[in-house]
Amino acid sequence: MSNGVSTESIPLYVKQPKVYPREVKGRFARLRVIAAWTLLGLYYVLPWISINGQQIVLFDLVNRQFHILGITLWPQDLIILSLLLAMAALTLFFFTALAGRLWCGYACPQTVWTEVFLWMERVTEGRRNKRMKLDQGPWNKEKIARKSAKQFLWITFALWTGFTFVGFFVPIRDLGLRLVEFNLGGWETFWLFFYAFATYGNAGYLREQVCKYMCPYARFQSAMFDDDSLVISYDVNRGEPRGPRKKTADRAELGLGDCIDCLGCVQVCPTGIDIRDGLQIECIACAACIDVCDDVMDRMGYPRGLIRYTTENAMAGKPTRILRPRIFIYLAALLALATLVGLVLTGRDPLLVDVLRDRTALHRVTEQTLENPYTLKLSNRTDRDLSVSIGVDSNALSGLRIIEPTEAVIIAPSEVANQPLTIGMPLDQARVGMHEITITATDAAGNVLNETETRFFIPARALE
Amino acid sequence: MTRADLDIPPRPLAQRLGAILWPSFFAAGVATMAFFAIVDPLMLRDMTFPELELSRMAGYTIGFFLFWAATAASSLFTWLLLRPASRFNRRMQ
Repeated sequence: MSNGVSTESIPLYVKQPKVYPREVKGRFARLRVIAAWTLLGLYYVLPWISINGQQIVLFDLVNRQFHILGITLWPQDLIILSLLLAMAALTLFFFTALAGRLWCGYACPQTVWTEVFLWMERVTEGRRNKRMKLDQGPWNKEKIARKSAKQFLWITFALWTGFTFVGFFVPIRDLGLRLVEFNLGGWETFWLFFYAFATYGNAGYLREQVCKYMCPYARFQSAMFDDDSLVISYDVNRGEPRGPRKKTADRAELGLGDCIDCLGCVQVCPTGIDIRDGLQIECIACAACIDVCDDVMDRMGYPRGLIRYTTENAMAGKPTRILRPRIFIYLAALLALATLVGLVLTGRDPLLVDVLRDRTALHRVTEQTLENPYTLKLSNRTDRDLSVSIGVDSNALSGLRIIEPTEAVIIAPSEVANQPLTIGMPLDQARVGMHEITITATDAAGNVLNETETRFFIPARALE
Repeated sequence: MTRADLDIPPRPLAQRLGAILWPSFFAAGVATMAFFAIVDPLMLRDMTFPELELSRMAGYTIGFFLFWAATAASSLFTWLLLRPASRFNRRMQ
């Protein structure tokens, strides 16, 4: 550039060396694998489970109903969904205060999918050293074969992930059938690829950069932390001064601490930090460094726990309090919300009743009866058949009776029935005007399910 | 160098894109949910473009991306305002 201002080109990714996390075995690695299997199992399997022909988790956008484990939520139940989301957030706060970034290390989709993608990378490209060599080496046959194999696994898995994602919103069995026939709708196809691409990009390439640059939780979690929260920490007093030594050497004689400076903790770190530099915002608390360090300690014959789950207070030699005000506050708020959700859920009307007046014919007269036609919209919000009988009542008019339907209406679970309704009264008792009437819906046992108000119209000319 | 003329080096593109697209994506998701919980896309279509053949799915998708466009524009604006003057001040040729 001739203008003297350096405009260094900025790469798409921070090319601070690409992180090649080393594979790790140990207690916490096992826990992470169990967590990953459980969560991914839930994600990939849940949409395939149906009870009585009803997919147990289905956010049926097309029909504007959410089915969650036997509960059907309608648009007017938004409050329940909001409360459930608030509960999820509070649960996150609670566990963060108690046990630090458990979420990041074990449960966050970013972590879990990254682990799976890393596993596929390991299967195709080999272990850490091999991967690094492969990336530096020329594009020979082996590199092309290994990289293509990885891409094949990644893309297939990402597409399946995208398909499953859409399956949470559209009945997945039907979706699967139509996929095989290449007969997906435009929007379904779009979201399938959108989510597949997001998974592929986030878990395959962005990885720890999502945690470092995009995750809001990493930024505000410090608000939930205190000196009693569990963190992963390196024991500086025990470890320093660090330095390599023979296994047989006497560290006291050499004036060394327990850290042999093997860099194991740095190599396994998925975010590429050195835990020995202290607690850092980049740390997702996956505990890989604990596993690898414990292994080294075992081999050196030193006690485990040079890097361990601990608290700031414990590190400073002070007692750690688990039960502290913020724990109780989060817990109380959680309980309050759970109670509220329970109350709202049980207090929901089992049946929604809407009455629409027939616009084409407001009234008709047949022999001695004056009739008003309506359309009833009956929404069964339970998960069982409802047998609904319709009744009518009014303070203003007497002699009202239901002409249609003559029998109880059966409504399937989550169905909306459009039921023609005709109400009539004897002509000789009719008085001109718009009269308030009440429509009552009762079940087979005679319990009132719901009632609604509408009007009964008697025009002057009907009585002439 | 004093605090005042401390110039932060440009952040990598991934971070800039992430900081603009991701929070706005999240906000758009919440807004879409709240909006369509109350408004049925088919009703909205009948009120605005009744002659268009739009399904509910299409309505949700368009709604989401409209929200995202709005929230992303706001994030972009914030980013522009937070840029240090040195990114705009270029010497004349």
